[in-house]
Amino acid sequence: MASSIQLRPALLLGTVLLLAACGGTDTSTQDAVADTTQVAEDAEGTRIVQLGGRNFSVPSPVQAAYAIRSAGLKYNSALLAEGSRSGAMTDRSKRSLFLGMLGADMAYVTVHGDGQKALVTLQTMERIAAELELSNAFDRALVERFKANLGSEDSLLRFGGAAFRAADEYLQENDRMDISAHVLAGGWLESMHLTLSDPAAANNKALMSRVGEQRRSLEDLITLIGSLPDEGQNVDLLTGLKDLQVIFADITSTYTYEAPVTESSKRTTYINSKSEVVITPEQYTRIATRVKELRSKILA
Amino acid sequence: MRSHILSTILLAASSLTLSAQGLCPTIADRCEKHITSQYIPDGQFYRALLQGDEVAEFGMTLFGGATYRLAACSGDSDGLLLFSVYDRDRNLLFTNKEHSAAPYWDLVVANTLEATVEAYLDPSRAGSGCAVLLAGFKK
Repeated sequence: MASSIQLRPALLLGTVLLLAACGGTDTSTQDAVADTTQVAEDAEGTRIVQLGGRNFSVPSPVQAAYAIRSAGLKYNSALLAEGSRSGAMTDRSKRSLFLGMLGADMAYVTVHGDGQKALVTLQTMERIAAELELSNAFDRALVERFKANLGSEDSLLRFGGAAFRAADEYLQENDRMDISAHVLAGGWLESMHLTLSDPAAANNKALMSRVGEQRRSLEDLITLIGSLPDEGQNVDLLTGLKDLQVIFADITSTYTYEAPVTESSKRTTYINSKSEVVITPEQYTRIATRVKELRSKILA
Repeated sequence: MRSHILSTILLAASSLTLSAQGLCPTIADRCEKHITSQYIPDGQFYRALLQGDEVAEFGMTLFGGATYRLAACSGDSDGLLLFSVYDRDRNLLFTNKEHSAAPYWDLVVANTLEATVEAYLDPSRAGSGCAVLLAGFKK
């Protein structure tokens, strides 16, 4: 069991003094300082470092949008967050969640070829991002690039992914992890909402599995949000996510390892392991209800 | 006098920390070129400042039917960062250590799995540095 430790100031100072004395030892010694990143040590004594303060990846909303389209669900612009919002957002955490939701909406409208909605959504994103001082990622230039590429789904999705990555990078480099975490949570929640809102989804095995496969992401998000400094702004979000976690805990899954095949010349590895998630209609309905409730609270 | 020296040391420490952190975006810019136009960036940025034998790790769900591209970069050239991908039972699925420390690799995923990506500096080439991992995918 890994035990969490923090790099101590003494280590920091020691490193700095050593560097100062040596004047650099290799091509990257100028990097050789510790930050406040969490470090843990596993059973074998390996020091594990979290990346940018978190140690997981949240599935991209674009993948959820693709899954919805592949399942043949009907496109419904009434599901979008912009239309569901009932009041002005003055709270920073809600704005951050909303920005994440807009990102998921952007992916949804783009893969369904609704260029006009994509543009409107992007303009709202630009405004919210400015309020969060994230204009470096969502700026006028991005809007112009979007306009110029409205007919190219792939380009739009790439621009969106690159913009969110730039925002994430900026937030991490500037110690604004709370916004980064809320953007991720908002995107995840909205993707779930878009997936679950059509009752026809319950009849699609692939989509049902995709919902069930979100358990790890949900658990990671709960850990992340739970680790943020909180003055009460995360209570609804955390409670809602934990309610979902209770339902997900009963979903069964199996995994069987099979040896992967690597083709070096193509720099590609084929991962052939088998897996299956079994989610009952009742579990599906309960998840859909909880997601709807939580989303409504955030947008209220 | 003593507090003055301490303040100076702390200032130097924080300056170097900021300097190291400031290098991460430059490395990320270079690394981003490995996520070519066929791939959609996942919208997230993963970085860690590593020293010695420290290992950076993160978990990700790889969805069945998708192809992922992982790119791993550090320092000012490719091949400084070694990375490996494990499944939830700690079976090794891929390591670039066996492929000349390739800076990027594609994973074609048949069925959804929970994976852990670990990255560490090649000890023969770097003693410390900013490690950047980027991910993209295609349908």
